[in-house]
Amino acid sequence: MASYYQLEKTAWDKALTSLLGSFRVFAPILKGKTLDYELIKEEHIPQIVYNTPKPVVPLKTFFLPVKENVVVEPEAEKPVIILGVPACDLSAIDLLDKFYMAEEYHDHYYEKRRKNSVLIGSDCHSTNKHCHCTSYGLNPYPENNQDISISMLNGHAIISAFSPKGEALMVRILDIESDVPTFDELPVGLSEIRLNVKRELEKANRLLPNYQETTDAVINSDRAIWEKYAKACVSCGACATICPTCTCFLLIDRPGFEKVRQLDACQYPGFERTAGGEDPLKELEYRFKNRYMCKYLYRPEKFDAIACTGCGRCIEACIAKINKNELLVELTK
Amino acid sequence: MGTKSENIYKPFKVTLEKVIEESPLIKTFVFVPEREFSFKTGEFIELTLDGIGEAPFTPSSSPLVTERFDVTIMKAGYVTEKMHKLEPGAVLGVRGPYGRGYPIEEFVDKEILILSGGCGLAPIRSLLYMLIDMKDKLRKVTLCYGSKTPEDCIYKPLFSELNKIEKFSTLRTVDFTDPYWEEHVGVATVLLDHVEVDLPNAVAVVCGPPIMMKYGTFKLLEMGFPENLIYLSMEKNMSCGLGKCGRCMLGGYFVCRDGPVFTYDEIKDQPHIW
Ligand SMILES: Cc1cc2nc3c(=O)[nH]c(=O)nc-3n(C[C@H](O)[C@H](O)[C@H](O)COP(=O)(O)OP(=O)(O)OC[C@H]3O[C@@H](n4cnc5c(N)ncnc54)[C@H](O)[C@@H]3O)c2cc1C
Ligand code: SF4
Ligand code: SF4
Ligand code: FES
Repeated sequence: MASYYQLEKTAWDKALTSLLGSFRVFAPILKGKTLDYELIKEEHIPQIVYNTPKPVVPLKTFFLPVKENVVVEPEAEKPVIILGVPACDLSAIDLLDKFYMAEEYHDHYYEKRRKNSVLIGSDCHSTNKHCHCTSYGLNPYPENNQDISISMLNGHAIISAFSPKGEALMVRILDIESDVPTFDELPVGLSEIRLNVKRELEKANRLLPNYQETTDAVINSDRAIWEKYAKACVSCGACATICPTCTCFLLIDRPGFEKVRQLDACQYPGFERTAGGEDPLKELEYRFKNRYMCKYLYRPEKFDAIACTGCGRCIEACIAKINKNELLVELTK
Repeated sequence: MGTKSENIYKPFKVTLEKVIEESPLIKTFVFVPEREFSFKTGEFIELTLDGIGEAPFTPSSSPLVTERFDVTIMKAGYVTEKMHKLEPGAVLGVRGPYGRGYPIEEFVDKEILILSGGCGLAPIRSLLYMLIDMKDKLRKVTLCYGSKTPEDCIYKPLFSELNKIEKFSTLRTVDFTDPYWEEHVGVATVLLDHVEVDLPNAVAVVCGPPIMMKYGTFKLLEMGFPENLIYLSMEKNMSCGLGKCGRCMLGGYFVCRDGPVFTYDEIKDQPHIW
């Protein structure tokens, strides 16, 4: 059973400061209207935003940079702490780990970064317009893949460790103060917030089909709906770039038998073109549908993990204002 | 082959020993690997032309020979065009072998009907070498091969060699004939009208351009071959070759990991198979 520790916010900040020497710490900071992970220096610590829904970029960017030389040995890097990871992004790790580490072929570059980082998950105490994690069986608080969880409540940090990596770090955090109060149960105030946020999400998405219903509906869909929505699509690939579980890439050759891995997307024209000009996804409409097939059927089937976490980023990122959830509601009407 | 400590993206080096001109568009390249290398028939490699690009190919030589291996390459685009300009001594990179090749254990006690076209004969040649090696355990092997013109027909000596081997026979056709051609004329699938099969003991193997794969499969089904005994080599745009980049999707499959050899029954319900 997890133990919850309660630290004064000031003590937590002090603990974090003490970690800056041995870790590179990334945490969400608000710049203008944009919440994004920033490399934290001491002066940033008071600005860190806690318990807010997802930063603009998904967690995958820490493990799969947009562009990376995958033949040259990466330089040894200081261990990384990624602080404030929401539940949706934590759950995306299930698919990524299976994809890159659990198979016969391990991707060293992913694996090194993944093993070199500690994930501190954080509850969402509010919601964004397009958040829909609860529709896909997730809760808006860390339950899976977090090494440590953190929540701010009434000027206190409630922290708990969930893995050996998390426990090791916890020892250092708790070193800051003697007599840190410990609870076996989640503080009541926090469970209330959790329940409320969950209800709020369920209410906001009451018309949205769940994962299985979506899978069935996408499989049994008529062509008309894809034609209709694909008409607005401009193949920019933003939906895939911003998606925490989209990982398709291309290897580009460099002299010296080096290869650069560059993130790619099935939404781009020519994604599946072969020599001789065959291209099963030549029509935009097929590429457009492919993303839904991939998310709701292909990846879950192959890796036994969800491939849409309900983060809503693709809806926010779409310059054609295509709303995945509107499409899915229409599909299951 | 891949082990957990190896960098899966880093090629090892091979030296080009010899180039054999097969047809105006197709050449066979004989490579000597810098380190131990072996493959099973139907598995493929990723071949890197330094700094230029990488493309998947299925070795066309016998898996039983390990000091060198052949790759037969059709000039089809950017990378393959540059490969066609290579001279002996050139050093290239190889990753692999990858994928699921032909399940030759399942061919024991069977007759094997092979339908192939164009450069699709490359993987088939490697398969044929294995079948020759295990011929005592087979009923018979029939190779049906189609090319555009007599000039485009590759591995010319192979056919007379095969015809001399007990249990083996070959049939050839061309789309466009010339005055010297004495064999069949028409698309590859017409050859299937000229073969006798003992269906309960037969399996079919198809490898060639997409259009031939499609109509060949339909014809085999019409002849009564069960869906699960038609083996197809699927070609897809590939990048990583080992199930990471997501490019080679065939519906829910990654052709590079789950294939490239599939039975028709495994893939028939996936979208856009040909
Ligand atoms: C498993 C497998 C085995 C193959 N075996 C052979 C073989 O033995 N002999 C042979 O001649 N050809 C073979 N091919 C096809 C060969 O890989 C393509 O002809 C080659 O990739 C074309 O590259 P290009 O740069 O010359 O063409 P371009 O059209 O210029 O290609 C540009 C890029 O698209 C990709 N691409 C294009 N066409 C294909 C394709 N058909 N398959 C995969 N990727 C493609 C490549 O990554 C390439 O970098 C095989 C393909 C697969 C998938
Ligand atoms: S195929 Fe498309 S939807 Fe699936 S992971 Fe790749 S880019 Fe994303
Ligand atoms: S498909 Fe959209 S909502 Fe689902 S995980 Fe990807 S970006 Fe988030
Ligand atoms: S070629 Fe990369 S996943 Fe198949």
